[in-house]
Order: sequence, then C-alpha cells, then structure tokens
Amino acid sequence: MTLSLTRQVVEVSASKALLLSSFTLYSLSTQTLDRAPAVMASRKQGHREVLESMYSVIVLVFMLVACVELGDAASAVDVYRLIQYDISGVPLGSRFASLNHHASSMHFSPGVDLTRTVLVIPIRELDLGFVKVLLMVLSSDHYILWWILQYPVYFAFEDDNVNTIPADIKRNDASGQQATATAGGFKLVVSAAEPKKVASPVITNIQGWLSGSKTDGDTNQLPTIAIRGSSWEWCCGAVALLEIARLFSILYSNPRTRGRYNLLFGLTSGGPYNYNGTHKLWLGSFDQRLRETIDYAICLNSIGSWDNELYVHVSKPPENAYIRQIFEDISSVAEELGVKVGLKHKKINISNSRVAWEHEQFSRHRMTAATLSEPSVAPGLLERAGGLSDGRHFVNENSVARIVKLVAESLGRHIYGYQGKNIEIFDDGSSLAINPSYIGSWLDLLSQTPRVAPFLLKNDPFVMALKKELTDHTDEVIVQTEVLDGMFTFYDSTKAILNVYQVASVTFDLLLLLVLGSYLIVLFSFLVIVTRGLDLISLFRRPSSRKIKTA
Amino acid sequence: MTVFHFFNCAILTFGPHAVYYSATPLSEYDTLGTSVKAALVYLGTTLVKLVCLATFLKVSENDSFDPSQELLKALIGFVDVAGLYFASTQLTHRNISQNHKFQAIGLGWAFSDSVLHRLAPLWVGARGLEFTWDYILQGVEANANLVFSISLAALGSLMWLRKNKPKTLIPINVCAGIVASMPSITSYLRWGLGWHFSKVVGFQLITSLVIAFISWQLFSACQKPYA
Repeated sequence: MTLSLTRQVVEVSASKALLLSSFTLYSLSTQTLDRAPAVMASRKQGHREVLESMYSVIVLVFMLVACVELGDAASAVDVYRLIQYDISGVPLGSRFASLNHHASSMHFSPGVDLTRTVLVIPIRELDLGFVKVLLMVLSSDHYILWWILQYPVYFAFEDDNVNTIPADIKRNDASGQQATATAGGFKLVVSAAEPKKVASPVITNIQGWLSGSKTDGDTNQLPTIAIRGSSWEWCCGAVALLEIARLFSILYSNPRTRGRYNLLFGLTSGGPYNYNGTHKLWLGSFDQRLRETIDYAICLNSIGSWDNELYVHVSKPPENAYIRQIFEDISSVAEELGVKVGLKHKKINISNSRVAWEHEQFSRHRMTAATLSEPSVAPGLLERAGGLSDGRHFVNENSVARIVKLVAESLGRHIYGYQGKNIEIFDDGSSLAINPSYIGSWLDLLSQTPRVAPFLLKNDPFVMALKKELTDHTDEVIVQTEVLDGMFTFYDSTKAILNVYQVASVTFDLLLLLVLGSYLIVLFSFLVIVTRGLDLISLFRRPSSRKIKTA
Repeated sequence: MTVFHFFNCAILTFGPHAVYYSATPLSEYDTLGTSVKAALVYLGTTLVKLVCLATFLKVSENDSFDPSQELLKALIGFVDVAGLYFASTQLTHRNISQNHKFQAIGLGWAFSDSVLHRLAPLWVGARGLEFTWDYILQGVEANANLVFSISLAALGSLMWLRKNKPKTLIPINVCAGIVASMPSITSYLRWGLGWHFSKVVGFQLITSLVIAFISWQLFSACQKPYA
C-alpha cells in the first residue's frame, strides 16, 4: 500500500516565442500610456485607498507565456526576471530575485493589505496606468526599463496549465478570502540566488567574406561592399543577411558569374548598447587597406514587418555622389517591386556619444554607409532590443523576402553593371529565387532563442549555428568576441523556476489536530469500555455504596 | 505542508496503535514483548515477500492491472498468513491468555506494517509546502489496517491456537482468506477499476469494520462452549 504521487511532465512545445522579455513592457507601455493619461487621474482617486494600505514589499509577477514542468509543487513555471542593469553606475531595473509570498490577483478588494503578496497579472489585463501608480514611480520617463524597482518582477509565458493558476487565484480572491498565512491559497516561491554582476559580458560578431573574381593582370584590389545585419536584437536583419549571402554564394560559386566585387557580410551584436559591436570590434578590426576598398555598406534594421514604405537613412548629405547612386539603385528596384523608398538624412552629432543608426559608426570611420529600415526615426537607446515586437507572429516572412529581393537586386545590378536596365537577376522561379521557407525556418529559430547579447556565451549553440550557416555560404568566416564594457553593467540570474504551491491554512491544521485529538479520545474510551467496561462501572458504584455504609 | 501537518498525520497513523495498547488490558499484562516479537516476525515476512516478488514477478511499465501478476502477488501475500502462524504458534510467549495473545500479535503486526510502509513517505512528503489529502487518507488506511490485522490474528488464533477445534472451520477460513487477500483487492480497485484513493480508503474502512464484527461474532461463538 504505497503512496503514489502523480508527477506529470509536460513537454515544451517550441512554437511559442521565448525571449528575455525585459523590454516587452516598453512596447506595451508606449501604447497604453499614450491613451492612459486621462484615465489615470480618475483611477488615481480610486486607488488611493489601495496605496495607503500598501507597504514597501510588493511583488509583481506578469504571466505572458509559460512552459510547465511539475515537480514537487502543484506546478513549476519557468520565469524570466525583468532585467537588472546599471547605466554608468545608476542602478535600474528590478533589483531583487528571490520570492516567497502568497499570490493574489488584480481583483482584490480595495483596502486590502497587499504586504508580502505576489500579484499575478496576465499581460492582457495589465493597465499600466494603475501599475505606474502602484509602484509610485517618480521618473518622468514612462518606460519600465527606466524604473528602479525594489521588488522582483518576473515574466512567464502563457500556457493552458499555467492559465489555471491566475484563474484559481481570482476565484480565491473573489470569495473574499485573502490569501495570507492564516487562510488557504497559493504560495509562489522563487528560490534564486542574489543576482551578481555578469563579470565580463561578451558580444560576438561573425563576419563572412565572399571574394569576387580578379581577372588576370588586375593589380588593384577589388572594391568591397559590406552588408551588416544584427543577429542579436533584430532577428530579421540576420535572416535577410543569411538569405542574401546564400543567393550571392550561388552566383559566386560559378567563376563565370562571379562579380568583380568582394562581399563582406557581418552579423554584429551590441546594437542597442550603442552599436558597440559594430563600432569597436568589427570596424576596429578592419585594416586600413580594407577600409579603403569598401565602396559602401548597407545596414539592415527593423525590417520584420513593414507595409510598403521603407527608409534609407544616411548621414552624409544626399548630394553626395555615392549616396545618390546607392539610393538610385535601391529606388529603381523598389519601383519595380511596388515599394516606396524615402531618403532620410540625419547628421552625426560628434559630441554626442550616443549613436542613432548603425551606419553612423561606419561614417565615423569614413566609410559610406546607409541603413535600410522601416521606421523613419531612429530608435531610442535600448529600444527594440528583443521584445515582443520580435515575436514570431509579428514578423512577416514575406516582408523579409521582399527586402531580400530589394537589396539583392540592387546589389546585383550594381555589381554586374545592370543599373537602369530592366533585368531581374533574382527572378522568382529561377534557381536564384528567394526562398521563403529558408527565411521562415531561420525566423522560427531566432524567435525561439533568447538573444540578449550580454547573456550569450561565446560557444553558445546559437552562435555556432549562425557561424556554420555563414561558413556554408561564404569563403571565410571570422568570429570575434569582445567584452562589453563602458556604460552598461548587467546582472545575472535571469531565469528561474517559480514553484506554485497550494497551501492550506494554519486554521486547517489546528482543526485537523482537534479532530484527531477527539478521535483518539473517543477511540480510547470506546476500547476501555469494551474491554474493561464492567470494571469502570463498578468503579463508579463503589463510592456511592461506601456513602450508604457510613451514613 | 510543514512539520505541523506531518505531526498531525503521524498522530493519525500511529496514534491508534498506542491508544489500543493502553486502553485495552494489554498494557496491564505487559504484552509489549509479544508485540515486539510480532513486529520482528512481520519484518522477516516482508523481506521474504520482497525476495519472492523480485524473483517471480515481471516488472510492468504502466500502472495497469494484470490479472496473472496480481494472482501471483496474492499468492505471495499468503506468506503473510504463514508469518502470522509462525508468530502465533512457534514463538514462546509468557503466560498470556489466548485473548490477549492474538491482540498483541495483531497490534505488533499492524504497527510494524504502518511503520514500514507509511513512515518514509510521510516524513518525506508531508513536510513539504504543497498540501495534499494523501497523507491524511494514508493515516485512515493505517487505521483500517490495524482492524484488519487484529481480525486476522483473531481468526488465526481460532484456527491454530484452540486445543479443541470448533465444529465448522469454513466461515473462519473464508473470513481469513478475505482478510489475507485484502491487499490484492485494494490494488485491483485502485488500478483495475481506477477508483480514487479516497474511495479505496473508504471501502477499506467499511470492510474492516464489517470483518471485525464478523470475526468478533465468530470468536464469541467459539468461546461459548468453553464458558
């Protein structure tokens, strides 16, 4: 008669996006807070009572998507901590990691004591106006990234099994029973170590070199075109780059169709961190001759989802001959594809160390460069660094395919000298057609891998996979790693396991003790009466008989 | 869930044994030695059963109910009965009346059974944070098992310890057979029919009370000619 504890292990279905969603709330915050200001004032009144009853230790747990594995607890959920970092010594983000509190949902009654509770909030119900008030943020910025939170904040992915937990918690709260130590309910425990600084966060760049053909007797170096995509924060740039590399490798594999240009493909990282990867490492490693031979560089950025409008951002004035040529190349192809391309010029501010676009790093090294991107303004610092906007369902592989076609065609015409002519090199249906399934499968892979650069090690399988892919398509691949220093310091313990326990209250235990005690007493008396019953009765009779005698 | 809960479940599981010992005349006649010996015999019996199970039984991956395997398990379960016989007849006890002898043996048997089967899961599981009803149900099961063991010992004493055998042995044998095969019946209900644990424990409780009543009647019926 052994006790059997059922343990279910649910396999993770790898079709959901799994990201270190430290920046997800940013995209949500801008959207909801833009609408929220009018609503916030009225809500402020209503929540003042709540505020008054709150103390300093409140924990927020946001549930987004989760993979569930059952262990000792009712359920164990993989959760990801809101990022904790310092910018130039200023601490930001969520500063604590471990967690051991009762759970509560957003439907608590006003006036309730929220000390030492965990708020479980599905992201759909998240009203950031209330959250802002809740956390008493004084910063003028609306981004949660810029808040310093003295509480742990965790994100988890939604799943059927895990969705029952907030539903149960809501039911508990709806019945009016506050989940504390004395009442029943759920207890959430995350046992995480104190977060430590990541000693030397590394950033990795991978570059691939495809050499053009030299005719005999040609003593000059061939000109080079550099194409750069970021593998770490914008998934689409990397995928587009891989596809372009694949197409050009097909062309270049045949000596007869090899162009007279070298192609340099670069997968760099450190984008949101002021494009550190591009700047110091990659460009710094170019020697002088290579720099001189680079005709121009194209950077791909935020091309995952766009309708029909793209922008080419440059830092040199548009009257520059090179810039004009690049723009003409691209716009002539764009016209054929039905895409509208605009030119945006933004001067580099030498005094400002913050870099808005990647091509500015190139321009600082005196190379002509342009960035092809969907938004017309530069993203802010740390913006778009791998948040929900990078989720697989936000990215359209057709748009990536169109970008690839655009860039590849314009490059091809430039290399082979077909400018202005109506020849389509990468025609659909030919052997050089863009392959949407290739793009799709790479997008799937990239959207499932957490890719925040400082937490990726040098020998990460993801890095190795990218390196192998680029090796297949190019002649020479170099991987460079460098320690990311400067403004940013990151803290570890990003991933943890949240254990959800269903606990019974202390009153239940006391009640059980009472019941057991009475049961044992009843049992005792029953047995005594049954086995020695007659003696007991006579025991009661004797004093009364003695009384009669003495009387 | 916490040590408090463990304490509660321990009381439920092992309390009745102590209560039985102290409430009945067993404590007056100092039958502790008999109980301890019975417990040791149970330990030996369990080891023998383990060896037999390991030798003869196939290991099945799923939790389904396999009739042939269960039959084998039931047969091995009768080793229990042999152990009880050994404890009742072969061991030398101090001069205790028949009445108390079987009670002491049954008590020792049940106590040892509880300790061996239930103490470890209780210690490991009940102290965790997560609350389940399993340990409380396990305690109730231990109570039912106590009644079963004492009934079995009573029937055994009727069969083996009487100098003059009663007229009909059949009802005694039938009852003894039922009690001895209780483990197989339980596992059939659990895995074959898919009953929930609480249902199984409820069934065990009711059956134990019924069997106790029947064996009590048999016992007193056999007592009469010697009154």
